[in-house]
Amino acid sequence: MSIIRTVDLSKKFGTLEVLKDVNLEVNSKEVIAIVGPSGAGKSTYLRSLNGLEHITNGEIYIDDELFDKRVHGIPQVKLDHAKKVEMLLRMGMVFQRFNLFPHKTVLENITLAPIKVKKVKLEVARKQGIELLDRVGLSDKVDAYPSKLSGGQQQRVAIARALAMEPEIMLFDEPTSALDPELVGEVLTVMSDLAKSGMTMLVVTHEMGFAKEVADKVVFMCDGQIAEIAKPNEFFSNPQHPRAKQFLGSIL
Amino acid sequence: MNAFQQIIDWMPTLINATGVTIALSVTSVITALILSVFLALGKISKFKALRYPSTVYVFFFRGTPLLMQLFFIYYTLPNLIPSLTITSRFLAAFIAFSLNVAAYLAEIIRAAIQSIDKGQMEAAKSLGLSYTQAMMLVIIPQAYRRMIPPVANEFIMVLKDTSLVSVIALTDLTFQTKIIASNRASSLVYIPAMIIYLCLTGIFTIVFNRLEKKLSIYE
Repeated sequence: MSIIRTVDLSKKFGTLEVLKDVNLEVNSKEVIAIVGPSGAGKSTYLRSLNGLEHITNGEIYIDDELFDKRVHGIPQVKLDHAKKVEMLLRMGMVFQRFNLFPHKTVLENITLAPIKVKKVKLEVARKQGIELLDRVGLSDKVDAYPSKLSGGQQQRVAIARALAMEPEIMLFDEPTSALDPELVGEVLTVMSDLAKSGMTMLVVTHEMGFAKEVADKVVFMCDGQIAEIAKPNEFFSNPQHPRAKQFLGSIL
Repeated sequence: MNAFQQIIDWMPTLINATGVTIALSVTSVITALILSVFLALGKISKFKALRYPSTVYVFFFRGTPLLMQLFFIYYTLPNLIPSLTITSRFLAAFIAFSLNVAAYLAEIIRAAIQSIDKGQMEAAKSLGLSYTQAMMLVIIPQAYRRMIPPVANEFIMVLKDTSLVSVIALTDLTFQTKIIASNRASSLVYIPAMIIYLCLTGIFTIVFNRLEKKLSIYE
């Protein structure tokens, strides 16, 4: 069973076509890395999945249930609000710029949504939050404000925050692109551990080492389309698509 | 020495009138703040039914003189609709100031809300928070701090603008000062009156500075 599946997903900004008929299936426990040159539509694709961008055409399925379908930008499915939120919460999102809530402490960042959206009791949410912080190696930062943390630490909190909603799949939108080089490793370690624990993950990344070692599949996107899907060792040793060859040639 | 003694003698009367000035400023700014949050949210709403009325409101109350709004509420409205006659001068002034200040504060709040990084709303939405929850729990609390300097500025303007109420004969500090000046034929009374205004704005400046510091702990 696929966790996420998109059928002929396309997205236009005015006349600019950013995504063209993207078909992709993410299966349970799969880790998929989406790579490609900037402007390829990787982030837009990820953001379309949980509604941060509205698609123009196509279908999005979550656990084989239709989540969104649009024709020329007009929604074709009408889910009631509760159902929509419930389906949305099957996806956890980690942003390039962390987007932690600066006026809340680390623990409050994590417990806010469980308490307000899932109506989890405060003590229960706090206990879970502390466990999650321990899991990302930040149990000593419970009461700190995000501004007191390094970028790498902030991103680890953001991962814990997304995990607190117990998603089935984690979407990562260039999670290490805003980090100083020496802080990239700690975030990738947390992500690798997460992958090992069996989490399904869809990761837009420029970290080819991570894609090579952790991903089950590499999806290469360019010009708003998926040009190639391959196993990491095949993709990196023997890319098929000319643009993929060019891309790997330019970064390695 | 005689002049100094005179000023001392006037003080109790002036301080009484200062109470009206403070009460009017504080109550109308607080009321305006509540009203302006709704106006600001209306102005940034994607629904026309909310956006247009808020926009027209702000256009009207920023676009006409406060003095005329005061006249309108106290003199014109009772003529048009007798049931809306306001006999209390304080109440009339309070309504005029609240409505007027709300228009200015709405723009301050709108700007503060829109200055918050859009990633905050995206993060809130991706965690399943509704628009209202995201606004109340994430966006507006962050906007508070950014609002304080312009709101402080607006408050101090209001504190001084309340002197306009002398035109409907509400005995605020300015009106009381004018009464003393004409009764005693002494223009000296403007000196203590201005000093009182300065003290008031000074005190409120300190209060707002403290508030800003207190709300900045997370930065």
